[in-house]
Amino acid sequence: MITQTAPPTPPAAAVPPKPPAKRRRRPDLFRTLSRVLIMLIMIVQVYPLAWLFLTSLRTEHDFATGDPFALPGALTWENYARAFETGDLGRNILNSFVVTMGANILIVLLGMMAAYAIQVLGFRLSKLVRGLFLVGIIVPVQIALVPLFIDYAAVNLLDTYQSMIIPLAGFSLPMSVYLFCSFYEYIPKETYEAASLDGAGPYRIFGLITLPLSLNTVVTVVLVNSIFIWNDFIFANTFVLSEELKTIPLGLQNYIGAMGKVDWTATFAAVCVTITPLLLVFLVLNKAMIQGLESGATKG
Amino acid sequence: MLPTRMLPNRSRTSVLVFLLPPLLLYCAAVLFPILQSLFLSFFSWNGISDMEFVGLANYARMFTKDDVFWRAFLNALLYLAICLVLQLGGALVVASLLTSLRRGRELIKTLYLLPAVISTVAIAFLFVRIYSLEPVGLLNQLLQSIGLGSLERPWLSDVNTVLAAVSAPEGWRFTGLYMLIIYAALLAVPKELEEAAVLDGASRWTLFTKIRFPYIRPVWITTTIMATTYGLRGFDIPYLMTNGGPGQSSELLTTYMYKTAFTSTDFGYASTISVFIVVECLVAVGLILFLLKRKSDA
Amino acid sequence: MKNLFRAAAVAAVTALALTACGSGSPTSSTNVAPTGDIKPREISWLLSRPADGAVINIMKKLADDYAKDHPGFKLNLITTPDRPSYIQKLETLAAANKLPELFDTDATPFARQLAQQGKMLDGEKLLKTLGIYDKYRPGALDYQRFDDGSLYMIPFQFELEFIWYNKALLQKAGVAVPKSLDDIPAMCTALRSAGITPIAVDGQDQWPLERYVAYQPFREAGPDFVQKLKKGEAKFTDPAGQKTVNWLAELGKAKCFQDGFSAQGYSDAQNQFTSGQAAMYNIGTWELPSLATDKLNPAVRDDIDFFTLPTTAGSVTAANEFVSPSGIGMAVNAKTYDPLVSDFLKFALQKYPAEYAATGVLSPTTDVETTVPANATPLYRKALDQAKDLGSKQAMPWDTQLDPTTNGRLQQELVLLVQGEITPQQFAETMDSTIAQNAPKFFK
Repeated sequence: MITQTAPPTPPAAAVPPKPPAKRRRRPDLFRTLSRVLIMLIMIVQVYPLAWLFLTSLRTEHDFATGDPFALPGALTWENYARAFETGDLGRNILNSFVVTMGANILIVLLGMMAAYAIQVLGFRLSKLVRGLFLVGIIVPVQIALVPLFIDYAAVNLLDTYQSMIIPLAGFSLPMSVYLFCSFYEYIPKETYEAASLDGAGPYRIFGLITLPLSLNTVVTVVLVNSIFIWNDFIFANTFVLSEELKTIPLGLQNYIGAMGKVDWTATFAAVCVTITPLLLVFLVLNKAMIQGLESGATKG
Repeated sequence: MLPTRMLPNRSRTSVLVFLLPPLLLYCAAVLFPILQSLFLSFFSWNGISDMEFVGLANYARMFTKDDVFWRAFLNALLYLAICLVLQLGGALVVASLLTSLRRGRELIKTLYLLPAVISTVAIAFLFVRIYSLEPVGLLNQLLQSIGLGSLERPWLSDVNTVLAAVSAPEGWRFTGLYMLIIYAALLAVPKELEEAAVLDGASRWTLFTKIRFPYIRPVWITTTIMATTYGLRGFDIPYLMTNGGPGQSSELLTTYMYKTAFTSTDFGYASTISVFIVVECLVAVGLILFLLKRKSDA
Repeated sequence: MKNLFRAAAVAAVTALALTACGSGSPTSSTNVAPTGDIKPREISWLLSRPADGAVINIMKKLADDYAKDHPGFKLNLITTPDRPSYIQKLETLAAANKLPELFDTDATPFARQLAQQGKMLDGEKLLKTLGIYDKYRPGALDYQRFDDGSLYMIPFQFELEFIWYNKALLQKAGVAVPKSLDDIPAMCTALRSAGITPIAVDGQDQWPLERYVAYQPFREAGPDFVQKLKKGEAKFTDPAGQKTVNWLAELGKAKCFQDGFSAQGYSDAQNQFTSGQAAMYNIGTWELPSLATDKLNPAVRDDIDFFTLPTTAGSVTAANEFVSPSGIGMAVNAKTYDPLVSDFLKFALQKYPAEYAATGVLSPTTDVETTVPANATPLYRKALDQAKDLGSKQAMPWDTQLDPTTNGRLQQELVLLVQGEITPQQFAETMDSTIAQNAPKFFK
């Protein structure tokens, strides 16, 4: 019988090579172990969302006086009614959607273009440009608030969708460039050479080869950025003034009352409503990502 | 010197067509404000007063006279370390485990990413509840039930635990994201390579260190850089949960800079801290590239 | 090439920064009665008040009424209830020279600088011109004044802060309502040994704990202390300063506040009190709807009462002098002030008090009677009546007084002091040196 020691280092059990005859049993045990581990981690990851949803169904009184982690005594949809009464959730969601879409389009398109220029076309200062983009990955966004505000005021961009989209896209662009660059490294040179010999120029190659091959990276980039942009508070709070342009995080601010008092159950109801679209998009994109990965399996 | 040029026939114009639009946006939104910040760091300015050129006085103050700054710097490093372990370590473990699963992968991936979609406001409030002692929160209840009642404490008010307590939610929140990236990379590892290694009698561990990890190294570097820089940029959760407190126990450079700018209206000094953060991040990324790249060359 | 780019960038930055701080055309802050025609247009009020609160609802209604006679007029209310976010917004707008017609601010050092630059209209002159200056409660106006007595902000509220307590819990622990501030630490010890949380405090929002640091000096040395302290003319090592530092350390030692208070928010603290777990809770009349109506948890409804800030032996301020804030004030932008803004303010400010008092709250003026809501408990009337007999001095919350850097540091160090992480000496030293370092920049 083999004594199975706990794996000292992730990610897999460090079992020394064994005679092939006994190898067949190991995967089962390994699989059981990983399943248990995955289940445990899952609980930690999912529980908070469940808690959020449950809390949005509790009565105010129950939330205030009862154990907030116990199951609620009674369920009520009243918080949702209050949430819709207090805020303009529909408009907030629409605004967040516009900003997220706008920024994502810029991030994906411009990111692919830059990566294509740097990685595929190549030019004398490509290393410098790449380094320049790297700077943007690492700069904390707060640094830009005051300068951007002054600049926007000068060119009359305050309180517009653009005022949010531009910095959100600008600050996410480096990561997108970087991800596309590392992906384009995988595309074999021969593919391009073949296309070139067929007489395709850089624009056609971009449209016919690079773009279609990038789809799964696009999904990754969109996914990653949507999460950040959907919940962005800092730019929206700084650049947006009017009620009509408020995104979700700003809308949630309306639930804060005098001196910092918060109607938490209604706020949680609102949070649940506002994350639903992102969740749905995520579920759809998740499928697309799997497909992209399978079809692109030949790469590299 | 022409480093990587995959296309033999490409015109200079085509490079410009592809490069200029992204560069323009990037300069307008990122580089130009950074330069403005650099410029501001040599001034004393509260936003409404006349700007007063003070030379390096802000830098002198930062390095020699500001105890909060150094405290915040050390806190930021510790915060980063905890986030990295949770995010990268957690991501790698789960991604690897996931590849061994036959069913339910998609469901697990989806669920695993859930925390990332919740807004930081909600996360902060949730964790304040979890760490709370009076009324007793989830973590303390859990400790009690497994017989570790002596460890019970108000995690966010204890100066010894607060930094770890505010780092954990940030780490937890994005593990799923990095896991997805690493998982995608692991899937791309050619099956033939793995099968060949298995036939040669390689253990799972050898398989991982010799085949899989080297294969995903470029992605791993990207992920590490991403996690590091996001870690150094960490702001929302400590800001919302403790506002840097108690005392300066959970003050990070970013929260300190933000407060200096928007609470103290000391835009000049805040810009000085920003410049330091930029330099700090550059050094961190340089180190990562140096260490990981060197290994891959070896 | 690279150098060229850098030079161009810096030049551009300089140009931008200069246009931003070159404060435009000089405006007069004293011309409160502009001449000319009233040309209706859209004006904005940047404010930090609850989105669905009485102030906003009433001003919206008044603006609609005004627009009926002045087609084309619109009052755009832009609210950011979260105060730190609001302050950030206000500061960036001020830096970009884009302040709207009306904006909210406390009488902070930053606001004083705006006033000194002529960016805000003289509030005293304005109210006098409108003929409503004398209707305001002196205390409500005083709260809005800068140290030199000048008035630039108009109050829209008037609140009184009390220490609410649970009679049953005090009885259970065998303690009475404190006669002196100095009785509180011993009281907390007794409550703790009876298994009761003595005081529920919202530590997350910082200002509630900061109230406590203001109490002892206000009793010991009067309202002048903080005005001197913030300029570095008084110190925490002075007798009044020492008294408050030591008192806070004692509060901490007696475990007066709930464990882990520094991370607990507003609602949590209040819930601790209204659910009968905490014996005392320091809050203002804006919470009357939660504490003195049938909305209050029935289990504690009959046990709740309040007392005003206790005095001390040798107190220089009287029992009827305590914290009575008139809330964040509204400033009028001098640059955009014109006959329209003037006319609208005249219309709105005259009608506002009656509408406001009808919602069951104290008006900043004395010419209207507050309507007590139908679901109120007797405590509601008792609380409102306190406003009839107020002394001439009031304890100013320190967060509106100190320069922002000192204030931030004070809030952090206070928690450490109360938690016993630092000694009273360390606290006093840190704070005095912080003030010495930062005050000169703000109080030139």
